[in-house]
Formats: sequence, structure tokens, C-alpha cells
Amino acid sequence: MMLPYLITIPLFGAFALPIVSLAGRKARELWAILVSALTLGVATEVFRTVWKSGEVMVYTLGAESPLGQGVDFPIRIVWEVDLLGAIVALMIAFIAFVAILYSTEYMRHDTGLEKYYALILLLEVGMLGIAITGDLFNFYVFLEIMSIASYALVAFRNDTWEGIEAGIKYMFAGSLASAFILLGIALLYGQYGTLTMAYLAKQIAANPTFTAKVALGLIAGGLLFKSGAVPVHMWLADAHPAAPSSISAMLSGLVIKIGGTYALARLAFSVYGMGINLRTLGWIIIFFACLTLIVGNAMAIVQTDMKRLFAFSSVGQIGYILLGIGIGLAAYGSDVGEVALAGAIYHTVNHALMKALLFLVAGAVIHQLGTKNLNELSGIARKMPVTSFAFLVGAAAIIGLPPLNGFASKWLIYESSALFNPFLAAIAVIGTAFCTAAYIRVLFTFFGRPSEKVMNAKEPGKAMLVPMMILVLAIILMGLFPWAISEKVMIPAAKMLENVGTYVSAVLGGA
Amino acid sequence: MRSDMGLIVKTTARATIPLIGIFGAYVVSHGHLTPGGGFQGGATIAGAGILFLIAFGFGEMKKRYNHHLYSVLEGFGGLVFLGAAMLGLGVAFFYNALWHEGPILNGQPGTLLSAGYLPIMNLAVGLKVFTGLISALFAIAAYRRWRE
Repeated sequence: MMLPYLITIPLFGAFALPIVSLAGRKARELWAILVSALTLGVATEVFRTVWKSGEVMVYTLGAESPLGQGVDFPIRIVWEVDLLGAIVALMIAFIAFVAILYSTEYMRHDTGLEKYYALILLLEVGMLGIAITGDLFNFYVFLEIMSIASYALVAFRNDTWEGIEAGIKYMFAGSLASAFILLGIALLYGQYGTLTMAYLAKQIAANPTFTAKVALGLIAGGLLFKSGAVPVHMWLADAHPAAPSSISAMLSGLVIKIGGTYALARLAFSVYGMGINLRTLGWIIIFFACLTLIVGNAMAIVQTDMKRLFAFSSVGQIGYILLGIGIGLAAYGSDVGEVALAGAIYHTVNHALMKALLFLVAGAVIHQLGTKNLNELSGIARKMPVTSFAFLVGAAAIIGLPPLNGFASKWLIYESSALFNPFLAAIAVIGTAFCTAAYIRVLFTFFGRPSEKVMNAKEPGKAMLVPMMILVLAIILMGLFPWAISEKVMIPAAKMLENVGTYVSAVLGGA
Repeated sequence: MRSDMGLIVKTTARATIPLIGIFGAYVVSHGHLTPGGGFQGGATIAGAGILFLIAFGFGEMKKRYNHHLYSVLEGFGGLVFLGAAMLGLGVAFFYNALWHEGPILNGQPGTLLSAGYLPIMNLAVGLKVFTGLISALFAIAAYRRWRE
């Protein structure tokens, strides 16, 4: 069983980092790369196993069976990985590996790097834990590991005013959101006396109470904050530009999805799937999704700061993922709902790849030119062709041009929303129109006449170009087989997520 | 600028710091028998360190504090915890192999050498909490000046 190594390897890497750091900078960087590469290997293996078997993988901490002696309910922490969990675990390990590889050159001028690598590995631990856990309190602990590591990383450059400002904003509001989630979990525990998600699902189905709905409201509110949905997206637009670019790539590509949309989907389907009216919940999520789509993408058009533009674009793309999840809930059990859910899962992976790429490009531009103001950056394509090519691929993918991966996932969401309610499809298309406008603007900046500031620019080194090329390759490869991936991976993942019965019986063993 | 306290405070601190330290060590090592444990005991021992910092001043603390040592010890505490959790990986992560199979720490429940890996984990957490808190407070105490 490879599953525990998914947590122990990066945790070991983070704990050992202060000791390895004594051997100098090179050793520290090599250690971080090695640890994240091993994690990627384990995540690939876990994904392959779950995908091949098509069954939910259950791992119990502390003993062989999750059930207590002589009782038929689980008393231990369980880790439960279905196909969706395996997909996001693989995605986390991949993006984290790429980001760590990138930071070896990108972060070279900063100080305190032994803390940086320890924090980035802890961030990975927290996200992997959320992806695999089947226990509500364990989920909260990993959520806090992830959140606290990301607060610290956003404010990592603490000699800049924006780093501190964004960090404080993110930390205050984020702690409040975490407190809501903890309160919701406490209410559920008080009502049902269990924290195992599978058993809780069974209990809620047997006895749906008002407390369960209040708890759902509190937890969903906290999770919407973490995902940067619209009324509470303000931290994101500050945090992503202020963080170092390798961290923005992880924040935007992973944190908002793992701590936000993934956890929301897990909670809505696996815990509440049998106990509440999913239609109502679905429409509430759809409402926020539409707001997020429009506001996020529209705000992206007016930005002059490149990273801020990408941050608002992330808000907009979260809108698509939420829309998919919302339709998946509202049309639960129908083909439309399944396609929408598959589209949301697919878009989660795609957006992680392309937004990570875009932030790495932004990091390369800042690293070489020292500015992220779009008005000063015209004509970079002449001097930094490889970086500009990477940007072109990322921007085309995020808009959803056919040969790239963004097309298929957006198509699934458009198609299902059009079948579900044409009005929602119209909103989704308007969102994409805004998104296109924003990226075309940047594109014209990149390919315009070179400005004075750009004349002396040159390409960054290999350690920054190679991660970008890995992501470009991944985007193009995934774009070549969109329907195969959707049929073989994403639809089964959506099916497994919708099928609460197997999720519950995997732990309880039919009991 | 004098940053340390008067004679009475210093003398009292000399007397109480070892007592606090011993009490904290007691809380950590009896975590599996009495209330308290790694975090509580570690925080108590860190309290002794903070008393030292306040009573004798930052200058005195600076002579006795080694950043690398504390940072390594904190990582070491985490590694010991993780190592103890992985001892029983043949059965499951966090499987208490020391309790079920020995060789040590599987004595009669209620005695000091019982509870399997729990005392080891308490010691590791205590070490991590103590070094972490001291490092954090030292770093805050060292934080440049009030204004630049």
C-alpha cells in the first residue's frame, strides 16, 4: 500500500530540511527537488492503482480495520481515496514538483530559503492530506496546515509592503473562514457523535436535522472563502500578486481548488449526498458560480498589473468549476449532472496546469525585467521568445482554443449548462468573452513594439524554462486526447463521486 | 540602555528557572499517565526560557542561543515523531508496534515504561514545541528596532 507514503515523504522532507540545510544551498535545493519528485512518483502510483481497480482505496491509521472492536462503527482516522481524490493528488504532486524546480532559480536572490522550502513542502502535505482524507477533523487539520503554510508564503517577502499587507489580509480573513469550518464540524460532531465522513453520511441520511443544515452552511461558507468565490474573493486578488511567483502558481493552481472546490464537492456529495435536498444546494452554488464567473473575468480586463490580472482570471475560472459542481448537484443522477461534474473535475486539472504556467511566465518576466506593469512590458516576444511562447500556449488554453486542453473541459461545462438551463450557458459564454478580452490585451502587449525597458531583456536560465516547458508539454498532450481523457478518467471520477453508496460501504464494509 | 531586570527578579529567576524546567520535563515524560503531554510540557519549559530572556535581557540570551542548534532540534523532534509513527508501518501508519510487540515500553499500564510509542512522541513534541517557541520569541525579541 503506497498511500501513507504520500504524506510521510513530504512531511519527512519538511522536517529534515533544517538538518539538510546545514550542508548548504545546493543540498537544500536538491533535497526539496528529490522529495517532491518521490512524492510525484507515489502519487502516480496511487492514481494508477485507483484508476485500474475502479474501487475506493481505504487506509486506516493505527490498525487494519477502521471499525472498533466489537462495534460496527469506525473509531479510527481513515484515508479514503476515490478517483477524484487520486486525480487531485496527482495534480498536486505534479504542480508542486514543477514549482519547486522553478524556485531553485527564481528564489535565488531571497534570504531565509530553508524556511521557504520547508513551507512549500508543508503546503504540499496539507493539500495531499485534504485530497486523501476520509475524516472530517483530519480534513480540518490538513486544511489548517495548508492555510497557515500559504499565509506564511504569501508574506514571505516581508521587506515588501504588499507582501505584508496581502499576508495580513489573507490571514485574518482566512482564519475567520477556518473558524467557521471548525464550528460547523463541532456542530456535526455534537449532533451525530462521529467525525468519519462515510459514517457521518450514513447518520445524516438516517436522521437529517436542522443542525446538519446549519453546519453545512457554515462549512460551505468557509470553503467558498478558501476557493475565492465572489463575495469573498478580495484576499485572492491581493495575495496572488504579492506572493513569489512559484507560490502564486501553487496558490492559484492548487490551494483554491483543494481547500475550496474539491472540499466542497467532497462534502456535498460524499457527506451530505444522501441527507439533504441537493437541488437547493446546487442552485445556491450555481448562484455564487455565476457571480464569480462574471465579476472575476470582468475585473481581469481592467487590470494593468499582470499578476493581478491572472489572479482575477483565477477567480473567473473558479466560477466555471463551481458552475460544474453546482449543476452536478442540481441535476443529481441525470446525464447532464454527470457531464457537468466531469467537466468541473476536468477543468480543475486543466486550470491548475495552465494557471501554474501563466504564473511561472509572469515570474520569469518579473525576474528578468523587475516589473509586472503591463504598460511597460510591450514587445517582450522579441527578446524572450520562449517565455512568450509559453504565455501564448497558456493564454490560448485558458480561453479554450480547440487544440489545447482548456477546450474540452469548458465544452463539457457549456454543453451541460446549456442542456440544464440556457441562461446559465449564456452567463458562461459572457464570462469567456471577458476572459478572451483580458488575455488578448496581454497578448498584444507581449507581441507589440519593444519598449525601451524591454530592449535589454533576455531569457531566464534553464531551471526556470524547463518547468515552463514541462507544463506547455502537459497542456498540449492533454489537448491532443481530450475526449479519451474525459471518457476514461473524468467521467468515471464523476460517477464515483456521485455514487455515495460505494464511498460509505468502502469504510463500513456493508455494515 | 539597560534591558534587564533588577537584582530581586534576577535572583528569583535563578531559583525558579530550574524548577519550571524540571516541572515541564515531568509533564512531558508523564504525558501518558497524567494530564498534560508534549505540548503542555514543552510550552512550560519554553516558559522557563522566556523568563530567562525577560529577567536577564536580550544580550545575555543572545550569548546562549544558537539558531542552527534550535532549528535542527526542532526538525529532529518532528523526525522522531514521524519515525515513531512509522515503526509499525508493516501493519498500518501509526500502528503502536512498541506496545503490541515490545521490546521496551510495553510494561504494565500505569507505569512509566508503558503505552508504546506515546512517551517517545511526547518527548519529540515537547522538544519541538520548546525549541519552536523559544526560536519564535527570540526572533521577535531580536526584531530590529522600534523605528528605522
